[in-house]
Amino acid sequence: MFINGFIYILGETLKGLYRNRWMCLTSTGVVMVTLLMLGGFMVVNLNVRHITEVVKEQVEMVVYIDDSADRATVEELGRSIAGHQAVARVEYVSSDEHMSRLQQQLGGMLEGYDAALDNPLLASFEVRTENPETVVRLAEEFEAYPGVSAVFYGQGYVENLFAVTRIIQIIGLALMAGLAITAVFLISHTIKLTVLMRKKEITIMKYVGATNWFIRWPFLLEGLLMGFVGALIPLGLINYVYQVSMEWVATNELMFINLLPLQIVITELSFYLIPLGTGLGILGSTFSMGRFLKV
Amino acid sequence: MVEAKNLFMKYGKGRQLALDNVNFFIDRGEFVFFVGSSGAGKSTLLKLIIRELKPTDGVLKVFNRDVGRLPRHRLPYLRRNIGMVFQDFRLMEERSVYDNVAFAMTVIGSSRREIKRRVPHVLNLVGLQDKAKAKITDLSGGEQQRVGLARAIANRPAMIIADEPTGNLDPGTALDIMNLLRSINLRGTTVLVATHNRDIVDRFKKRVIYLENGRLVADEQKGIYTHVH
Repeated sequence: MFINGFIYILGETLKGLYRNRWMCLTSTGVVMVTLLMLGGFMVVNLNVRHITEVVKEQVEMVVYIDDSADRATVEELGRSIAGHQAVARVEYVSSDEHMSRLQQQLGGMLEGYDAALDNPLLASFEVRTENPETVVRLAEEFEAYPGVSAVFYGQGYVENLFAVTRIIQIIGLALMAGLAITAVFLISHTIKLTVLMRKKEITIMKYVGATNWFIRWPFLLEGLLMGFVGALIPLGLINYVYQVSMEWVATNELMFINLLPLQIVITELSFYLIPLGTGLGILGSTFSMGRFLKV
Repeated sequence: MVEAKNLFMKYGKGRQLALDNVNFFIDRGEFVFFVGSSGAGKSTLLKLIIRELKPTDGVLKVFNRDVGRLPRHRLPYLRRNIGMVFQDFRLMEERSVYDNVAFAMTVIGSSRREIKRRVPHVLNLVGLQDKAKAKITDLSGGEQQRVGLARAIANRPAMIIADEPTGNLDPGTALDIMNLLRSINLRGTTVLVATHNRDIVDRFKKRVIYLENGRLVADEQKGIYTHVH
């Protein structure tokens, strides 16, 4: 009986998909389009997050040491900065080293200038923080330390970068949430139409003594299959488009656009889109057929 | 087999009683007509027997079980013992005669072998052995109701409930269907028929339960519609 029931359910699922093929194609199409948009936004969001992480990691603070500070003050300052819990790494850069860096950057423009005699550049500590977003608060704190002349961290740029990336992420999340809600709404309505078309069949099943689960299974499997296929197609499309985009970035030498590797993107998307698609399909079927089972 | 004790049914607050203190007992193997004008409560009573509705008050026992208290998950097992026949046939039009009958057996988990053996047999009983492959839409009204009957008896139910089974049929075909129901009853199946059809009730001389405005006003063995009216 169990095997017969299973064969029946599987057969009914396939028959149901074939009999209502246009409606099923529509439902799958709805899942596909919504998940494609959702996947697209996820790809953009993942890359924005990745790029901002990379940029954030490059955020550095330079604590310039007052010219008049004695050796003991400088050593104490170095220890205070290095010992701060928000600081990841500290490097002392002498005024001579600053000069040699400047000479390297400017090339021949400083030729003939004797830096050993007259070096106006201040020695400094170059500081990397554990969390780049704490750089503004830390700069204010370090400015008050004895022996500090000034603190520089790209004032203005850093605040803007953090604000813009936060806005992009919030918009992305809001769009994704909106799309997910739209997907549930559209799918449950499309599946409801499929169920409505088979209302008579369900009623007959109830009258002849079919259990609710026996009636539900083919619809649940249909929903699951539609959701699964509806998730696989966008994944394939995104895979193709992303690969093409990566090649385009490489051939146009736009290497400053630091895209995430394809494998990471597809793994991350599969992790969300496949359970989401199948889940939406099953949920859609369950919601749509509830009242038809109450005969 | 079916016993109603002080049975009341009301659809929503403030509305008239659909069944008003109805009492009767139907024994195994009986053939009973439920008659009365539209809105008398015939269909409500049949819906209560298959637990499509729950009584507002009183007790309705079917196969010695109070159906009003039957948990929802037990409903399928109650209905497997009752074959339903409808005025509008309720068949799956896109499927064949064979598939419609087989469907009733498949959904309760009958084996393929049992279905292959039983379906031709019941089609033979209702005289549709040559139409097994025909589509429902290619059949006449009478033939469609025969399919409905075949489906109702496919699972060997202890009771058949027919709600206006001849309502959409011409007099000759209606008589054929009723004769089929009688032959099913002669094999030991209890048959309950809700009908308006005076000629049929008068011709068959079976037990007649007459309902009027939800009240049971007459219950006669070998009754005649015209008499009880």
